[in-house]
This record gives sequence, C-alpha cells and structure tokens, in this order.
Amino acid sequence: MTNLNAIDPAAVAEEARIEGNDVVIAKSSIILRRFLRNKTAVAGLVIFLALTLFSFVGGFFTNWDKETIDPFNIGMPPSAEHLLGTSQAGIDLYALTVEGTRISILIGLVVGLVSVLIAAVYGCTMAYFGGKVDKVMLFILEALIMMPALLVVAVATSGGGNGLQKTLPSWLLLIIVLLVFSWMGTARLIRSLSMSLMTRDFVKAAQYMGIPPRRIVWRHLVPNIGSLLVLDITRGITGAILAEVAFSFIGIGIKVPDVSLGVLIGQATSQVSTFPWMFWVPLTVMFLLTGSLAMMNDGLRDAFDPSSSSVGSARKKKTV
Amino acid sequence: MLRYLAKRALTYVFMIFLTTTAGYFLAVNTLQPALLEQERIPRPTPEQVVNSFRLKGLDPELSPWERYVDWLTAIVTRWDWGRSPNGAFINAEFGDRVWISTRLFLASIILTLIIGVALGVYTAARQYKFSDRAITSYSYLVHIVPAPIAYFLVQLGAININETAGERIFFVTGISTPGMEGNGWAQFVDLMAHYAVPTFAITIVGWGTYQIAQRQYLLDNVNADFVRTARAKGLTRNQAISRHALRVSFIPVAQSIAFTIPAIFAGGFFAEKIFAWHGVGSWSIDAIALQDVNAATATLAYGSVIFAIGAILADFATTLVDPRVRVQ
Repeated sequence: MTNLNAIDPAAVAEEARIEGNDVVIAKSSIILRRFLRNKTAVAGLVIFLALTLFSFVGGFFTNWDKETIDPFNIGMPPSAEHLLGTSQAGIDLYALTVEGTRISILIGLVVGLVSVLIAAVYGCTMAYFGGKVDKVMLFILEALIMMPALLVVAVATSGGGNGLQKTLPSWLLLIIVLLVFSWMGTARLIRSLSMSLMTRDFVKAAQYMGIPPRRIVWRHLVPNIGSLLVLDITRGITGAILAEVAFSFIGIGIKVPDVSLGVLIGQATSQVSTFPWMFWVPLTVMFLLTGSLAMMNDGLRDAFDPSSSSVGSARKKKTV
Repeated sequence: MLRYLAKRALTYVFMIFLTTTAGYFLAVNTLQPALLEQERIPRPTPEQVVNSFRLKGLDPELSPWERYVDWLTAIVTRWDWGRSPNGAFINAEFGDRVWISTRLFLASIILTLIIGVALGVYTAARQYKFSDRAITSYSYLVHIVPAPIAYFLVQLGAININETAGERIFFVTGISTPGMEGNGWAQFVDLMAHYAVPTFAITIVGWGTYQIAQRQYLLDNVNADFVRTARAKGLTRNQAISRHALRVSFIPVAQSIAFTIPAIFAGGFFAEKIFAWHGVGSWSIDAIALQDVNAATATLAYGSVIFAIGAILADFATTLVDPRVRVQ
C-alpha cells in the first residue's frame, strides 16, 4: 500500500522542469503582456499608483498640515495660499485630502488582500475535506453573513467605555471589523469552484499519481481559481474603500481626529451649497480611487485567466 | 417540498438565535448607558442611575450572563424584548418602525429585481451593441459609488428640480407632510411625492448587481449544448433562449437574491438616515448612539430574520425554476 502513495521521482522531475521556466514564454510574462495590452487597465493602474504616491509625498508640497488651524481663513474657497481651500475648522483641505487618501488606501489594501487570503484558505479547506467539516464551516460562514455588519461596526466603534476603543486608533478598529465581515462571499465562491475542480480528471489523476495535497492545491487549484482571487483582491479593495466611506459618511467607523475620505465627505454634506469644494474635492479623489480599481479589474481578470481567449497579435495572424 | 422548506427554516431559526446571542453579548459588553446618564443636568448619583436602570430591567450591576438569561427568559415566556434606557418598550417601538421600513423598501426591492433581471436579459440578447455597452457600463459605475453618496446626490438633484420649478414637487425627507389634511386623493399625491425620491434612489443604485449577474449567466448558457440541441430540433434562437437558457440562467440569480436582500437592508440604514424615514435602520444607529443594548439587539435580530426570509425565498425560487432540483 505504501507504494501507491510513494512519490514518483519522474513526476517530480517533470514538475520541476515545468516550474523552472522551461517553456517558450514564462507564465509571468504572459500575464504581464496580457495586462499591458489592455489600455484601460494600464490607465487604471497608473491613476491608482499616482494617487498612492500623492498620498505619501503630497504633504511635502504644502506648508500646512492636518492639525494646524489657520484662523484667518476659515471655510475659504481655493486660493493661492490654500490650494484646495480650507475646512470649516480652518484646516487646509489639501493636507486633509492627502491624509484622508492615505488612510482610505491603507484600509482598502489591508482589507482587500487579507480578506481574500482568509477566503482562499477557508474555501479551499471546505472543498478539500468536504463532508462534516464542510457542513460546520458553511454554517459558521452563513451565520456571519446573517449578521448585519453595519450594526456590529457601529457597536464596536461606538464611544462606549470599552478599553479596546481607547487603545486602538479608529482606522485600525475599522480594518479589523471590516475583515471579519468581508471574506464570506468570496469564500463561498471559492468553495464551490474548488469543489467542482476536485472532481475534474486532472485533479483525480494527480491524486492517483500520489502527488501530495499541498502540491495539488498549489499546481491545480490555485492557478484555476487564480483569476477569481486576483479579481477579488481588487474588488475587495474597492469594497473596503466604499464601506469606509459609507460608514464614515453617516458618522460611524472612522472618528475624528482620524481623517479619511469618508469623514471629509460626510462632514461636508450639510453645507454642500455654501461650501461646495469641501464636498466635491474628497468625492473626486474617491471616484478616482474606486474608478481606477474598476478599470484594472477586467484587465487583471483576463491576464490571470488560464482559459483566456485574448490572444497575442502574433498568434492571431496564424490561427484566425 | 414543504418538508424541505421547514427543515431549512429550522436551521435558520437556530442561526438567528446564535447571531442574536452573539450580538447581545457584544452589545452588553460594549454599550454602557450609565455613562450617558452622567451627562444629565442635574447629574444623578450613581445609586439613582442603578435604581432607574434596575426598574427597567437593565441592571448594570448584574453580570452579562445574568442579564442575558433574564432577557432571553422574557422573550421566550412573554415575547418581551425589554426596554430602552429612556424607558420606552422595544416591542411598541419596533412595531411602529418596522412598517416604515417595509413601506420604504418593499416597492424598491421588487422594482430593483424586475428591472435588473429584465435589463440583464435585454443586454445579453444585444451583446456588444450600443445599448448593452451603455447599460452595462452604468451598472459597473454604480458599483464604485457608495450607496449613501448616491442617495445624497439623488437628493441634491431633487432639491435642484424643486428650486428650478419654483415649487415643491418632490419631498426629499420625511414620510408624510405633518398635519396633512384633505381627501383621499390629496393624501395619495402627498404619499407619492414622499415615496418618489427614496424609491427612485434605492432602485437605480440596486439594479446593477442583478443586471450584470443575469447578463453574465445568460451569455454563459446561450451557447450551451442543450440550447444548441433545442435549436437543432427546430426552435428559433429566441424560442430556444427563452424556453431553455433563460430558466437555467435565472437559478444563480435567484440564489444571489438571498444575499442581496440583507445588502439592501443594510443600504437601508443609509437611505433611512438620509431621507429621514425613521424606520428600523435609522433606529438601530440611534440606539447604538444612545447605548441602548436591547434596541440594538432587536434590530440585529430583525436583520437576521430578513436574511433568513431572503434565503428561504431564494430556495423556493430555485425549486420552482430548476428542473434538476427534486425535493419531496
């Protein structure tokens, strides 16, 4: 019996050969080329990177910071001194926007990446073991979907006497709560996709060949659900940024003195007709952020899809 | 069929119990109404605060577990969800507000579904034509706008229309005109004027998800073997699609309804806040601001029930349209 499960050295050598870039074009360069061919996606990437850069170095282009109050310019429209005007408290809006963009991007990136990671591990575990494990894990997952996330966020970040809210900054608390409630949909999808993959012939063949489970997951499951994972990272980033904006907009989530795009937009809504720039500036930045991610989304999906029908121009001439 | 649904319902009852319990412990450990009492003028002594809370069944000196047992016993034996720190009874409050929420969302949920699925079918039939590109881009655009901001922009638009017209055509906040008098027709017009803006806002934000899903699934099925077989047997393309592909492509959409109804409900917090309809959603946010444990838990339980109803409806829809599902 032990023989059946022994690892075939020839198969291992073959795998190593494939992995060692012994192919005409390396997989990573195919992905990169496919992505670069999509002009919209590249434009999205450029805008996103520019905004990230802006959020880190933008502060050096102004003499104001997010705490200094300018008592002579309260609620002033954009001028030479204050590039984007000032808030009702007399704080430079440009400095606030830089800070808010950074916090929003940070929340988006952390929540987007980590929640997909959790979803992938959870979903693959469910699919791989199946049976009782799957049932129990699915129950937990559905119970979490059932909880209205917004209420839990509101309770967790509300100004009660709890020690947690005092020791953690509000953006970190929001990241934690968003993480708890953001991975279930993806996990469900990954579970159903990997379950159908587990019944496919190439996975069965690999199992009979005695390839260890970790290797099967890595060589067969991950590449096939890879496009979904990548897609869900960008979607997760967008979702987290939107959730932050939406929560902060109605006054839960990020709390002053922390600044985010949502806080800035939310504070400006009551006087949108008198101080329009306070509303439209952070809103425009938010649209650029979520819009650039949406533009990247499709290009990434196509680039990572192993069954992509988008072929290179050189091949197109031959086949079509 | 009924047995299957009953079994599902039982699972969901157990789930609701678990989420509500978890919510209660989270709330009871986090929310501290006694701190808010300290802000009153004249400031009450701690003994007064404890006494007044004890009378309302909110004794802060009991341990969370003891409070939980009392709270659960009251619900199980008398269907009494407790009281707020200000003395209001949750049952009465809830009864008033749940109808406001239902009135606000029922029309828009149905409209969202019908418009979304219809547009999905329409665009799938006209893939890559101008109308398809326009509608699908719109649906993707909606995905990058946070719901409260979209509602707020609709509200701004309605205010602008009112200002341009020089009279109040749309009501942007509230559920009805206070002190409204007159015959049935005038009241109906008043009701519609209050309904129009929120329903419009919730619907145009909501249908994109269904449109994209329906279009995608239908396109996946249009070239499937069973549709080709149907065409080979003499059906026209449109007949084959409407009789065979449409049905199958609706199954995943029906299942996604379960997960979007609570999402619309969550969007309801924003809609109710922005349009000032004091339903369950805005109540829950206020309850948390007022450190009201019982009200927060009750709204959380309601959210779970809405989800369960959505999930059971989705199961029901699936058994209706899916020829492969056979339940006794």
